[in-house]
Amino acid sequence: MSLLRGLPEMELIVILVRLFLDFQEKLALLDSAPILDVPLGVISRIEKMGGATSRGENSYGLDITCKDMRNLRFALKQEGHSRRDMFEILTRYAFPLAHSLPIFAFLNEERFNMDGWMVYNPVEEYRRQGLPNHHWRITFINKCYELCDTYPALLVVPFRATDEDLKRVATFRSRNRIPVLSWIHPENKTVIVRCSQPLVGMSGKRNKDDEKYLDVIRETNRQISKLTIYDARPNVNAVANKATGGGYESDDAYHNTELFFLDIHNIHVMRESLKKVKDIVYPNVEESHWLSSLESTHWLEHIKLVLTGAIQVADKVSSGKSSVLVHCSDGWDRTAQLTSLAMLMLDSFYRSIEGFEILVQKEWISFGHKFASRIGHGDKNHADADRSPIFLQFIDCVWQMSKQFPTAFEFNERFLITILDHLYSCRFGTFLYNCESARERQKVTERTVSLWSLINSNKDTFRNPFYTKEINRVLYPVASMRHLELWVNYYIRWNPRIKQQQPNPVEQRYMELLALRDEYIKRLEELQLTNSAKLSDSSTSPSSPSQMLPHVQTHF
Amino acid sequence: MEFSELIRTRQAQAELLSGPEAPALRGTLCVTGHHLLLSPKPQATDLWLLLLRSVDSIEKRVAGDSGTITLRCKDLRVLQLRIEGVEATLDVARSIEGLRLGDAWHFHPLESYYKRVALETDAWRLSEVNEDFSLCPSYPRVVIVPRAVDDAALARSARFRQGGRFPVLSYHHARSGTALLRSSQPLIGPKKLRCAEDEELLGAVLAGARPGAQGFIVDTRSAQTAKQARMTGGGTESKAAYPGWKRLHRPLERGRHLQESFVRLVEACGDLEQSMDQWLSRLDSCRWLAHVQEALSTACLAAQGMEREGACVLVHGAEGMDSTLLVTSLAQLILDPLSRTMAGFQELVEREWIQAGHPFQLRCAHSAFSHARSKHEAPTFLLFLDCVWQLGRQFPLSLEFGEGLLLALFEHAYASPFGTFLCNSEKERCLCEVRTQTHSLWSGLNQSKEQRKLRNPLYVLNPSALWPSVEPQSLRLWQGLFLRQTRPPERSEEVWEKVWQIVTDEKTEDSRPVVSAPEPQP
Repeated sequence: MSLLRGLPEMELIVILVRLFLDFQEKLALLDSAPILDVPLGVISRIEKMGGATSRGENSYGLDITCKDMRNLRFALKQEGHSRRDMFEILTRYAFPLAHSLPIFAFLNEERFNMDGWMVYNPVEEYRRQGLPNHHWRITFINKCYELCDTYPALLVVPFRATDEDLKRVATFRSRNRIPVLSWIHPENKTVIVRCSQPLVGMSGKRNKDDEKYLDVIRETNRQISKLTIYDARPNVNAVANKATGGGYESDDAYHNTELFFLDIHNIHVMRESLKKVKDIVYPNVEESHWLSSLESTHWLEHIKLVLTGAIQVADKVSSGKSSVLVHCSDGWDRTAQLTSLAMLMLDSFYRSIEGFEILVQKEWISFGHKFASRIGHGDKNHADADRSPIFLQFIDCVWQMSKQFPTAFEFNERFLITILDHLYSCRFGTFLYNCESARERQKVTERTVSLWSLINSNKDTFRNPFYTKEINRVLYPVASMRHLELWVNYYIRWNPRIKQQQPNPVEQRYMELLALRDEYIKRLEELQLTNSAKLSDSSTSPSSPSQMLPHVQTHF
Repeated sequence: MEFSELIRTRQAQAELLSGPEAPALRGTLCVTGHHLLLSPKPQATDLWLLLLRSVDSIEKRVAGDSGTITLRCKDLRVLQLRIEGVEATLDVARSIEGLRLGDAWHFHPLESYYKRVALETDAWRLSEVNEDFSLCPSYPRVVIVPRAVDDAALARSARFRQGGRFPVLSYHHARSGTALLRSSQPLIGPKKLRCAEDEELLGAVLAGARPGAQGFIVDTRSAQTAKQARMTGGGTESKAAYPGWKRLHRPLERGRHLQESFVRLVEACGDLEQSMDQWLSRLDSCRWLAHVQEALSTACLAAQGMEREGACVLVHGAEGMDSTLLVTSLAQLILDPLSRTMAGFQELVEREWIQAGHPFQLRCAHSAFSHARSKHEAPTFLLFLDCVWQLGRQFPLSLEFGEGLLLALFEHAYASPFGTFLCNSEKERCLCEVRTQTHSLWSGLNQSKEQRKLRNPLYVLNPSALWPSVEPQSLRLWQGLFLRQTRPPERSEEVWEKVWQIVTDEKTEDSRPVVSAPEPQP
């Protein structure tokens, strides 16, 4: 719905959270009167178009740019000056931060059966991975976020590295983001370690503690003589970063390491690429030479590079039996993409609904992916250079994997789209703020609801009917352009011409089957009841009803 | 095409005489797909069993209210069956006749389709005017034509159409009371010739449809090409000569250009050296997906004309045996739920492609790799299969068959141990005695061990029309075919197998009252 043609009488309801447009009355003649429902958090920019003297239909009104690939344009009538009020109300509630108002999540009083804040407990997650062990320990050195303010309180580090070592290493890593463990292979004990770039600078500084620390990490796993370092950036960018004090691990300083660049571009490139995707799909889909124009956005190419990088990490850990260190510049964008995707490929636990929630909670939220800056929650500065669709790109990669392995994931497409919708909606506290320390200061877990509460209370809606649980299967998706697709159901979902099968017929069929099964279970229970009733009536032996039940149960 | 369709009657009371010495055996005679059974009364355990394939010849005689069937077997035995009831005798005899060959050659898609049409309307009749293929060498012996038009008129209409392909019924849409027809171009020529019988034929179509129906002629060439065709004796229907019919031009690529597109696509898919960042634009420049889009949207147009506008639709291009068939067969898949079943789709392919005279031998002589190219090759049938695949992708529950069947048809169309896709027309197949010298692909495919690969485990009958989205964003490259070299094929088969397991599990749960209960609470 790109343009709502002059419908001055439509009712516009701005509730703190969302913008409802109800033009049922005017369009009652259509089969289904559309109701436009836009969470205000999705709004990126509101502009007035036309002035009091504008002539022509639809030349006067409001233009709203959304973060989820759509623009809304409201044509209004000049008389009555209703636009000013509307503009002010929308601006105020769409950008509460600029008006010293709270983000909606803090006002939301929804209640759910499940408490999503309980989903992720770092100690439990590390215990699931078999940690701590002889080589790795859990440290609370960052309890008050003093070592690194963008890291979580709880970190897993090599057993042989003392807290003093960690502090010295922190001085040599950008924003003190020292190498810490993300994941350990259950069998060969190789690890994925994440961090930020070393502060090498123009002069090529070295730091003995950092070098020693990396060697300690290498030694936790004795099977291979080298530690593999994946620098997510293109080689030239890594070199250029030296000018601003950053850099990468050189061969001379770090013996026993192998360094590879993964050629993934930075947040600005990704933002511009997605902007181009939006240009070709909204408001009108580029019809002629669709594939060529899709190619010119380079979006799928970036997806390919991210997936390829993650595959390399996963393969190194699993088949190459070498521990891996991943970083980019600050270690909160591309690094999070690579570690989380590699973990998704390696560890089937993360492919379940709760496992995936834990993965997002751990690798993205707790490790300080700057959601507030990247998304700009409640912030009016739509052109902020810090905004970038890095998390969306990660979810897109997950979707590509789920396409290639239709039975490997417990969740369905709707799960991924719901996560993305609430990435912007500000209804839940899950994605608010840049890091754990800020969230703790704002008491997010106490004052807001978690997105996982919504999802886990309605799990059936998000389940993939064809999920077959597999343990220890490593998934290597094909990261070739031939096998990547544009995620039409997400990027082009607002286009009425792209027909979507709503709701997904496969899921619907599965729901029917589930319902049928439930019915049978109910009937069976009834049968059991009547059965046991009969038995207790007629039977002289008091033990038979209780014997009967387990017998029936073992039967199924 | 299932054996069951050949069985006219399942049971009869009969007496078996195996020879002058042996005692007569009385009981209930049963006909199954492969055997003849006689179970003696009362429920004795010993059954008499005869493999139908061993029957070499069959002879029937009726007298009074019973009949005798004499079966001469390949092992030189002679058996006599005395059956109660004349009807029963004839039915049993016909069933054995059909089944003993164990082949689907005895399946007559046109006749059986006509039976369906006859239940819906009496505006159509089965004509044997082409019995000896003299009217139209590329048509089958029988065709379905308007009842109001006699064979003599058909003959004159045939002379006015290229290759004798006069307008015949392709599909009757019962819900709207309209018809889909196909033909070749009219031979109007530079002198603007007319043919009263041809005009009468199309007039009769409108008269036989729902009252007030208008007609659309979907010409699969551009207006200009159609006009230019007059110079070589062809052309397209003028509005004045065919009142009530409106012409629409939807140019579809055919012949050499289509083949080139196919060759380029296969080249691009097989080129592993090629820099990947140009894959999409290269795919774009192959234009294959554009052809898929054009074919599907033209089929939608034809289907829409019938279902939404309540109009009759005639489709033709020039010769009427390539893009015409593509459009009519796809339109039927869109509209007709029966054509989306396993049996219905096979019937559709048989009726709308094989019997309708798509010249398979010429079109599928070479595939994409061959350098020896004649001007006749064109992957029209493959384009059809690709369009069906797109439909299946967009409506994952609505087709009873899966990618496996489409792949099998593609393979067999190009090279096959079966006779189904041999020759260019029914006439040639008769001359080559294909039916007696070869086996039918349909019998091969319908063997039970193949079924899982071919069927869609998720199928549920969808009674409504399937309107596919034809936006370029909604169409995908058929990876299972074009990327079979680069993609490990097990993966999709594995998935298929898993889905089958899930579905059959559910099915058995359906049939059994006992289901897996939730885990006992601790």
